[in-house]
Amino acid sequence: MKSFNYYGPKTVKEAVALLAELNGEGKVICGGQSLLVLMKQNMFTPEHIVDIKGIPELDYLNYGKKEGLRIGALTTHTQLEDSPVVKKEYPVFAEMEDNLAVVQTRNYGTIGGNVCHGDPAADPPAVFIALDAKYKLMGKKGERVVDAEDFYKDLLEVDLRDDEILCEVQVPPMPAHSGVAHDKLMVQKGDMGIVGAAAFVRVNTSTGICEDARIALTNVASVPFRARNSEKMLIGKVINEELLEEAGKLASQEVTPPSDTHGSEEYRRDMARVFLKRVTAKALARAKQAK
Amino acid sequence: MNDRLKDLKFKVNGREVELKINPKMLLLDVLRDELKLTGTRTGCEVSACGACTVNLDGKAVRACSILAIQLNGRDVVTIEGVADGEKLHPVQEAMVNHGAIECGFCTSGMVMSARALLLRNPKPTRDDIKKAIQGNLCADSGYVKYVEAIEMAADVLQEKR
Amino acid sequence: METHENKYTILGKRVPRVDARLKVQGRAKYAADYEMPGMLWGKIKRAPYAHARILSIDTSKAEKLPGVRGVVVGEDFGGFKWGWQGHTRDETPLAVDKVRYLYEGVAAVAAIDKDIAEEACDLIDIEYEELPGVFDPFEAMEEGAPLVHENKPRNILVEYHWDFGNVDKAFDESYLVKEELFQTPRMAKGYIEPPSALAWWEHDTLHYLGSKGSPYMLWRIFGRAFNLPLSKVRVITPVIGCDFGGTKNDGHALDFAAILLAKKTGRPVKIVYTQWEELTTCLRRHPMWMRTKIGLTRDGIIKGIYTNVVADGGAYARMSPVSMYLTNGFVTLPYKFDNFRTDSWNIYTNNPMSAAMRGHGMYHTRYAIDCLLDMMARELGIDPVEIRLKNCLDDIKAGETYYTINELRVASCGVKECLTQSRDLFGWDDYHKNTKKVDGHMAKGAGVSCTGYLSGARLTGHNSCSALVRINEDGSVNVQTGATDVGMGSDTTMCMIAAEVLGIHMSDVEIKRVDTSYSYPDPGSYGSRVTIYAGEATARAAEDAKKQILEAAAKEMGLFPEELDIKDRKVIMKTDKSKFMPWLQAVRIACYASIGNIIVGRGVSRKGTQGFSPKAFETGVGDVGTNYGFAAQINEVEVDLETGVVKCTEKSSMADDCGFPLNPNTVETQNIGGSLHQGIAPGLYVEFEMDKGSTLNPNFVDYKMPRAYEAPFPKFAHVITHDPFGPYGVKEASEATSCTGGPAVVSAVYDATGVMIKNMPATPEKVWRALKEKKEGKR
Repeated sequence: MKSFNYYGPKTVKEAVALLAELNGEGKVICGGQSLLVLMKQNMFTPEHIVDIKGIPELDYLNYGKKEGLRIGALTTHTQLEDSPVVKKEYPVFAEMEDNLAVVQTRNYGTIGGNVCHGDPAADPPAVFIALDAKYKLMGKKGERVVDAEDFYKDLLEVDLRDDEILCEVQVPPMPAHSGVAHDKLMVQKGDMGIVGAAAFVRVNTSTGICEDARIALTNVASVPFRARNSEKMLIGKVINEELLEEAGKLASQEVTPPSDTHGSEEYRRDMARVFLKRVTAKALARAKQAK
Repeated sequence: MNDRLKDLKFKVNGREVELKINPKMLLLDVLRDELKLTGTRTGCEVSACGACTVNLDGKAVRACSILAIQLNGRDVVTIEGVADGEKLHPVQEAMVNHGAIECGFCTSGMVMSARALLLRNPKPTRDDIKKAIQGNLCADSGYVKYVEAIEMAADVLQEKR
Repeated sequence: METHENKYTILGKRVPRVDARLKVQGRAKYAADYEMPGMLWGKIKRAPYAHARILSIDTSKAEKLPGVRGVVVGEDFGGFKWGWQGHTRDETPLAVDKVRYLYEGVAAVAAIDKDIAEEACDLIDIEYEELPGVFDPFEAMEEGAPLVHENKPRNILVEYHWDFGNVDKAFDESYLVKEELFQTPRMAKGYIEPPSALAWWEHDTLHYLGSKGSPYMLWRIFGRAFNLPLSKVRVITPVIGCDFGGTKNDGHALDFAAILLAKKTGRPVKIVYTQWEELTTCLRRHPMWMRTKIGLTRDGIIKGIYTNVVADGGAYARMSPVSMYLTNGFVTLPYKFDNFRTDSWNIYTNNPMSAAMRGHGMYHTRYAIDCLLDMMARELGIDPVEIRLKNCLDDIKAGETYYTINELRVASCGVKECLTQSRDLFGWDDYHKNTKKVDGHMAKGAGVSCTGYLSGARLTGHNSCSALVRINEDGSVNVQTGATDVGMGSDTTMCMIAAEVLGIHMSDVEIKRVDTSYSYPDPGSYGSRVTIYAGEATARAAEDAKKQILEAAAKEMGLFPEELDIKDRKVIMKTDKSKFMPWLQAVRIACYASIGNIIVGRGVSRKGTQGFSPKAFETGVGDVGTNYGFAAQINEVEVDLETGVVKCTEKSSMADDCGFPLNPNTVETQNIGGSLHQGIAPGLYVEFEMDKGSTLNPNFVDYKMPRAYEAPFPKFAHVITHDPFGPYGVKEASEATSCTGGPAVVSAVYDATGVMIKNMPATPEKVWRALKEKKEGKR
């Protein structure tokens, strides 16, 4: 690993000031579980590292019935997985974390780091998009809140200005009669999904009609893929197997998946269909059960 | 290039350690090269094999994937700090007696993952155990004997309560 | 776990490994853990081409970099070439005129720290002329293809054509004849410990400390390479993190570079490979293409087998001649048949070298034959376990031997019992009758495989093992042998044998790591030979030492030595146990007799002295093993029919005939652990993907190895056959089971889905595609 200049700010204000000073040359590190792998192989050689792991004001996990979930950037995966209130209100996170890498990574890696890395195969961004979450950013010019979906620009490229850091993820409270699910195609448990999906469904329990759906797919494009057209197919209808198949097929035509040693483009397209179906069906089942 | 060495003060196996390090040093480098604690091993460069697993504040983490400079004021336990003098931890005792250890290269990591598991979950199911050592690759012994040894150790620790 | 009759005090018991306590506390020292004062760090500079001529090398900038102490290039080794046989010496420590595989080493640097060594490598300027390369063995064999070695026309390293009986007639007389092409993947050895070497020169002697499973191989190679008599070559083995027959069982650039750099700089030099270097440049298992044909009677009896095998040997010969022999050499086990023909080729390509790996050779044809057999069994309506039981060799009666058509000598064979035990432990019959195979998009299935595997390999050259047993004056004992424990537990076994023979306790016996200055030659840890050869040597050495103790004790007790024995640390009179002398007293008497005695027992292995002529490679006739181990295995898989993902469930069974398990713990862990995983891994996910000589997945994230969640938990049975040719009846354990995993898993997928994956591994996409094609074929 190449040497770098290291800065360890203790407050958000300090961190932002440093980044502004470094004029785009500063790379933020938190748990380092994504970044260090690249740096160890010299695939990424930043000159300046701004380490925000030591900023206590970013280390919290709060829930309120009105505001929903506020995940401080330094929250580790394990903290999110184990939190009793998160398990109760958003069981999808425990489901997601159970398949996310391995315990060593989860114990030290942070939600903030994962979210900002911009890997289209990562799970949390898709789940946040399905949950209609927002990211709160802080920069020299002050606070900025963006929709999770809009945050992802390209492969490993996110909407963070040179002087900004992500402070928290804001997840709205779950509406009544809604459910969320996450799953991905893994060869081994904990793998990055060959493809993956997160889905949010809200139903009208008397009519059975789907009133809202938000579906995000992973590793099928350079950013998490919001399957809007598939959602449109489902909203306003009673979701059944045929409809899911159609929605899945549509998504499989719209995505632009990579081809690599884990799967070809053709395979990934079909898997996008399979996982959109499976995960949406799971979310639907949970929505029907939910109060 | 600001190669200035930074202060690192943290606890390793109960002992206070004070060093000046190049901030690019990983915890693994500090343990092996500075402190000569070679029980924590280097197996891969991609944070996949788990041979470098240690316990940070009682949790299993990969020493190869942590910048040491982040650990000021923290508490690290390595394989060298698990046994109590000559008295082995029940996990270690079980692994020895059950024949789980072959070449031993992954063993340090396995012990640390198991120790962390039992610290937070003294009554693990077989699934919990598999989840705890999921990040530890073993090519020689495989996993059956390690899982069974950890089950045995959990029983021993339960009896002691 | 089965209990068995046991006439020994220590042998056959579940003894904890002698090094387990050290390992479990992190106190065992592996090669990378060693340091020496004044040590320099070395790094290899590697070529960016798979096939290129080296036009010029300029090391001046690197040498000037502050902190660099020495640089060496290929020419500095004085034209030295090495290889497994005299006529296969085609490899240089660092490339000299040409590079023949991507990232082949071309230079090496020693510097005061790792970073400077790496930086210096970047400063070495090398001009190359890129040459067209060959990466597919079939293309490489064609006339006009680029030659990897100019003196090897059509890139053929070896070709064997064997013919036993009359295969054509056998096929004519068969009820069902089927031919299919099977392919095995390129496999990494998969050890977690990367190769590591530390070298220094002292008193005109070369000292080398590295993770080597066959130190004496390197002892001889280094002697030749650096023009030293063997007496001045010291190879020391630390604790080793596995080998499986790969690079750590042979030499590689780091070994020679560290030694030469140490000579040049006058300082110790240490080189530790990254896992990336291991996975891109070090030895891997051959990929092989096997066109396999079997002829069966209506009842499923094998009449004849034909194999046509092409293997990609990579850029240099290494052990390929042996690999090709072993691939077909014991096709004639475990099934009985009289007609066998093979045409096989090992081809040079500009890919990284292929070499030995656990289950060497047999692993390939076992997959092809067992899976083809299952396809044919289905056509004939015969159960896969039944068809194997019909064809397997029966156990050999005591005192008799069975010779296969290619003259493999078999004196014990428990394969049928391995099959029946596996079948019963799994609940095979009930499973196929009562298990719901398809449930929604999930399908379940089970597959079986069985095999024999060579044990106690005996090649040409020096095959014997020696041991010394030294009894110290305080009653403690040192066992010294050149056999290297790479993790399989041989150190423990040697201590068990010594303690058993001497009638003392395990805690009295100590064994140290191999050091060629002080221990005695042994061919190495390969071919499942260590327990057989070193075991015999150690037993003889212990007997010799025991004799000296008994002689001294007899004198003192007024008896004849033949009247005495040692049991439980007591020298006792056989016919009157009340007459005894404590071990310590007997030892004291022996040691302090006259002006003092050194009690050392010497033992040399005597079996396998006939050796095996490489000429036999050409005919396929002859016995490369001392005896043969057998095993059977059954695995259940779950297949997701929509995604193609295959998972092994916990449900599995395995039975191993290792003659007599000297330490059941070791035998079990080996079989149900590492061997099981190395077996199923190529069946499920393991494969190096290549693109023009470049390995696309050289890391443990993209090259998947089984993890705890994916581990089957097999029910296991020991099958005891007491082979007459192994010490204490012993044969190999766990090489057979590393051959049965792949076919068992692939057959299980076949059972679950009707799709036979003929090119392991059964990756999700492959299975998905095959299922798609099957569906479309039906329409």
